[in-house]
Amino acid sequence: MNNTNHNIESPKEKQNRHKAMEAIKLLNTLREDFKAPISSMGYFYDLFERVHCKHESLHDDKTKIGTMCIQIPSEIIYALDGIPIRLCNGFYTDDEIGSDFMPQKACPLIKATVGHFASGNFTDKPDIVFSPTTCDQKTKAGTTIESFGYKLIDVDFPRTKESEASREYWRRSVKQFAVELSKFQGKKLTKNNLKDAIKKIGYAQLLYHKLSEFRKNEIVPILGMDVFLVTNAFFFDKIDNWIEATEKLLSELEIRAREKITVTGKASPRIIYTGSPPIFPNYKIPQIIEESDGIIVADETCSSNRMFNDMVAVDEWNIYDMMDSISDKYLKACTCPIFTKNEDRIRRVIQLAREYKADGVIYQAFAGCTVYEMEQRSVLEAMEKEGIPILYLESDYSPSQGGQLSTRVEAFIESLKTRRRNKK
Amino acid sequence: MNLIRFRFWFQIIAFALIVYGGYVGLDLGDKLPTFACVFNSEGTGGKCYVGMLQHDLKNPFETFMGFAGYAFLVSLIMFMVWFWVLNKSWCGFVCPLGTMQDWLTKLREKLKIRFSEYSWASRGNIKSIKYILLILLLIIPVMISNSILGLPKLPNGLSMPFCDICPGRMLIPAFTGNFNQFYIDFSSKTDLAMTTLGMIIVGLFLVGSFIKKRFFCYFCPMAALQYIFSEPAFLKLYKNGTKCTRCGDCYRACDMDILEIADDVTNKNLVTEDCILCLKCIAACPEDGCLEANFMGKTIFESTKEGFILRMAMNKQRESHE
Repeated sequence: MNNTNHNIESPKEKQNRHKAMEAIKLLNTLREDFKAPISSMGYFYDLFERVHCKHESLHDDKTKIGTMCIQIPSEIIYALDGIPIRLCNGFYTDDEIGSDFMPQKACPLIKATVGHFASGNFTDKPDIVFSPTTCDQKTKAGTTIESFGYKLIDVDFPRTKESEASREYWRRSVKQFAVELSKFQGKKLTKNNLKDAIKKIGYAQLLYHKLSEFRKNEIVPILGMDVFLVTNAFFFDKIDNWIEATEKLLSELEIRAREKITVTGKASPRIIYTGSPPIFPNYKIPQIIEESDGIIVADETCSSNRMFNDMVAVDEWNIYDMMDSISDKYLKACTCPIFTKNEDRIRRVIQLAREYKADGVIYQAFAGCTVYEMEQRSVLEAMEKEGIPILYLESDYSPSQGGQLSTRVEAFIESLKTRRRNKK
Repeated sequence: MNLIRFRFWFQIIAFALIVYGGYVGLDLGDKLPTFACVFNSEGTGGKCYVGMLQHDLKNPFETFMGFAGYAFLVSLIMFMVWFWVLNKSWCGFVCPLGTMQDWLTKLREKLKIRFSEYSWASRGNIKSIKYILLILLLIIPVMISNSILGLPKLPNGLSMPFCDICPGRMLIPAFTGNFNQFYIDFSSKTDLAMTTLGMIIVGLFLVGSFIKKRFFCYFCPMAALQYIFSEPAFLKLYKNGTKCTRCGDCYRACDMDILEIADDVTNKNLVTEDCILCLKCIAACPEDGCLEANFMGKTIFESTKEGFILRMAMNKQRESHE
C-alpha cells in the first residue's frame, strides 16, 4: 500500500480556516475596494489578520479577563493588572457552532460567543469570565459557558436606571466584582492604580472623541467601517498599541481633512447607524451601506460609540468616589435597550443626527435580539416625529441574505439623495 | 479657567471681605443676602438681611401702615437687588458658612473618608424644613408685639429667633478671635432654651458638614427666602436638555444632591430651590453646551467636552502621581 499522508482536517483547523476566510474577505474589501484608503489603518487590518488568520496571541504573559458585555469596568481590570478581553463575537463560523447550544431563534451574537467558548479555540483564552446580567440571552448563556468548564462569575446588573435602588444595587455589584477580581489577581485596588487606569481609558476615549470630530466634517475622511474596526480592536488589543495606532490615524486624518481627501462620493448621504452592534467580521450592514454610496458618520451601538462616549467623572479622587463614578458611568450613561424605558437612547440618536448633520438613520437588529426588535417601534415613531428618515433592518450572521438587504439599503439611500436634492 | 480653583480662591476672598472687611472700613450695608454676621460687630463687612428682617418685623402692625412699612419695603427691595446680581451664587461663592462647610469637606476628602448621602426619600422630606424655619423666623418676631389669633404675645427674648440658633452667630465671630458667642444664657427660660439649642446646632453643623457636603444648606431659611425671588435674577443656570445624555455626572458632582440637574431634560432654568449655584455641575458636564451659567443673556461659563477632559486630566497619556 502506498503511504500518502492523508491529513484529515480537525474541527479546530476547520474552524480556524473558516474564520480566517471570513476575516480576510472583509479585510481585503476594506483594503482594496474603497477609494482613498488610509495608510495608518494598516495597523488595524494587520492586527485583525494576525489574530484571526494567523492566530497570533497578543497577551501571552498577562492574565486575561473575559467580559461578556460592555458593562464590566475595564478601569478596574487594568488597575488590577488584568487584560480585558471582550468576548462578544461576530463570526458566522462560531454562530453555527453555538447553534447547538442555543435556541434556534436566539441572537447570533450570543450564539457566536457561546460557539467560541464551546470550541475552546482562543488565541487569547480568558482565565476568568465576568458576565453581567444584561439581556436574557446573555444572562442565561453564562451557565452554558460555565458548563464547558470555564470559570465564570455573574455580575448582577439592574434593568432600570432611574431608581435609587438600581443605582445602589449596581454600585454594590461593581464593588463585588472588584473584590472577586482582586482575589483572583492577588492584587489590591489602590487609589493610584485605579486613578491611572481611569485616566488611561479616559485618554483612549478622548482619542475616539477626536476621531469622531473628523466625521462631523462635510468632507468625511474616514469610512464608518474603518471606525468600527478601530473600536472593535479595543475589545482585545494591547491598550498602549491601540493608543499609538489611533494617534497615528488621527494625524493622518488631520492631513486628509486639510487636503480635503474624502472616502465618499459627491453626494453620499450621511448615515447614523444604530441597533445591534457590528462586531468583526460581521460588518454586513455597514458594508452594504458604504458600498451603496452611503457614509456612516456616527453610530449608537455598544461596539463603538457607547463604549467610548462617556468617561468616568470623579469628584473626589479617592477610591470610594472613583468606584461610584465608575459604576454610574456603566449604568446611568448606558443606552442599552435592555432597560425598561429608553428615551435616553432615542434622544441620543436624535442628537447624533443633528450634530453629525445626518440625512438618515439605519437601525439594524439581529434576528433574535428581542430588545432591539422591541424598541424598533418607539424609535421609528420618534424619528418620524423629528422628520428624520429611518430604515429598519433585521439581519443575522449568515452570508446568504445579502441581495435582499442591499436592495432595501440602496433604495433608502437613493431616497435620501432625492430628498436632499428636493430640499435644495 | 478651572472653575474649581477659581471658586476656591473666590470663596477665600469673599470670606475675607465678609468676615474681616469691617477692619478696613468695608460696609456693604445690612441687606446682604448672605450670612454676614451682625454679631461679628467689628470685623463684618456688611450685615445679613435675615437678621435685619427679624428685627424689622418686631413692631406692632400699626407702624407698618406708616413710614416703617415703607422702609420695610425699601429694605426688602434692596435685599432683592443684591440677591439678583448673583442669584444663589451668594450661597455657592460668598456665604461664609457655606465656605466653612466646603473647607470641612476638603478636610474630609484629605482624610479619605467617604461622604454620606441622604436616601432619595429623606432628601425629599427635608426640603420643607427650610420653609418652616423661614416662616417661624418671620412670625415669631411679629408675635412679640402683636397678638395673633388671640394668642398671648411672645417674650422679648425671641426678637431674633433665628440668630439664636444660627451657627454663624458663634462661628463667624470666632474667626476674628471672638468666642463670646459660645454661651448658654440662664437669664430666662426662653434664652436658656434658645441658646442651648444654638450650641447644639453649632455642634451639629460642624459634625454634619464634615460627613455631609453642605449639610447646613439643606435647612437654611436664607436659601428659602432667596428662592422666592430667584426667578428674575440676572445669573442663571441653564440646561439644554436635548444635549443631555443623563449620564449623571452633574448629579454626582452636586453638593446638594439635586436629582433634577441630571434627570430633567425639559426645563431650561435649573436653579432649583436647593441649588447653591456653585457651578460644579457645569464643570462636571462632558457635553458641549449642555449646561451653562448665563448672566443677563450672556453665557459666562459653559460645559465643554474639552474642558471636562482638562479638568479630569485625561488629556495626557502618561500619568504622574501627585
